[in-house]
Amino acid sequence: MARPHASAELTLVEARPMALDEPAFDLAYRAYAPRLRAVAYDVVRDRDAAEDVVHGALVRVWSGGSYRPERGALLPFLIACVRREAFDTLRAAKRRHLREVRAADDPVVPDETAAIDPVETRRVRRALDALPESQRDVIMRAYYGHRTLVEVAQDTNTPLGTVKSRLAGALRRLHTTLSGEFSS
Amino acid sequence: MNHLDDDAELYALGLTDRERDAEIEAHLAECDACRARVVAAESAAAALAATLPPMPGAAPRRAWWTTAATAAALVFAATTAFESTTAHTASERLTRTDTALGAIASSHFGHTTLTSDPGVVAKALYSRDGSWVYVVANNAPPGAHVVLRSGASSRDLGALDAGAPATLFVRAPGRAAEIDVVAGDRVVAHGVPAY
Repeated sequence: MARPHASAELTLVEARPMALDEPAFDLAYRAYAPRLRAVAYDVVRDRDAAEDVVHGALVRVWSGGSYRPERGALLPFLIACVRREAFDTLRAAKRRHLREVRAADDPVVPDETAAIDPVETRRVRRALDALPESQRDVIMRAYYGHRTLVEVAQDTNTPLGTVKSRLAGALRRLHTTLSGEFSS
Repeated sequence: MNHLDDDAELYALGLTDRERDAEIEAHLAECDACRARVVAAESAAAALAATLPPMPGAAPRRAWWTTAATAAALVFAATTAFESTTAHTASERLTRTDTALGAIASSHFGHTTLTSDPGVVAKALYSRDGSWVYVVANNAPPGAHVVLRSGASSRDLGALDAGAPATLFVRAPGRAAEIDVVAGDRVVAHGVPAY
């Protein structure tokens, strides 16, 4: 199975990935909006901007026909689209000086009591703990600490290329761990 | 083009730059191996996303002005306004609403957040063929009108309703160069649609 991380509650839309038409838009919105908002808000830290990011990404996906069922489950694709859109918004905000550029947070260990999906969070925490320290560190700084890759490179006195390959390696290993756990 | 290598994972995390994304997406359209790699990476990135907290205050807040469903409800209301008032069954209503949503989703609509006075939040959804426009505004001055402008000509579409948010849905507005929300002589919100 190509979609080990999809939650049961989302099968309504997952089950009909071909139907990227009318009702699917609304179904997708209802099913996914909380998660997509969480992703957008994590990047832009502004509720209205986050709503805009989610809407903008969904409209882009629906009107652009960029999703193909062979790409796999819809939600991970949408999450990636929302993150890209959110980073675009953040960059635009920085350029226009419309908003205070938000300070990087301290990396926080994902908290399953506060997470949008507590069960998945427990699995992800175990998978994070199993990463080599250098890979775990870059995930904590870049994903949970909201540092840019350039900042991570500066903070850790590591070449940017190394930071990128560690982060990519961390994501690959997370996928392997999480899929293996699922199928066993 | 070369395979994506580490960019597959960085792309899934939204960390590649936009110029590179265009190359990546072109490559993904023709490379099964890289597509599988991106799909796997997106799956892992979605697992990370599941560990994030919900957006504060998000649960009770229906994003009225960001949902196509809102526009669909408007189209539904507009298209059924002259029909018999005989009660429809719930499933008939749902089917009709879905059909209206379909019309919107398939009619290539665009949306733009209007640049507005402080405190005013306004947005326009519009069909790319100019067959409808839907303006929603929060905290707009009472009685504010929506005005479309193209060059020297302008057309007053009428007043936003008194709802919260205030809305106005108009059919066949054409493709205006600019959409304004006007209160008295003052433009309180302004946007440029991209057809």
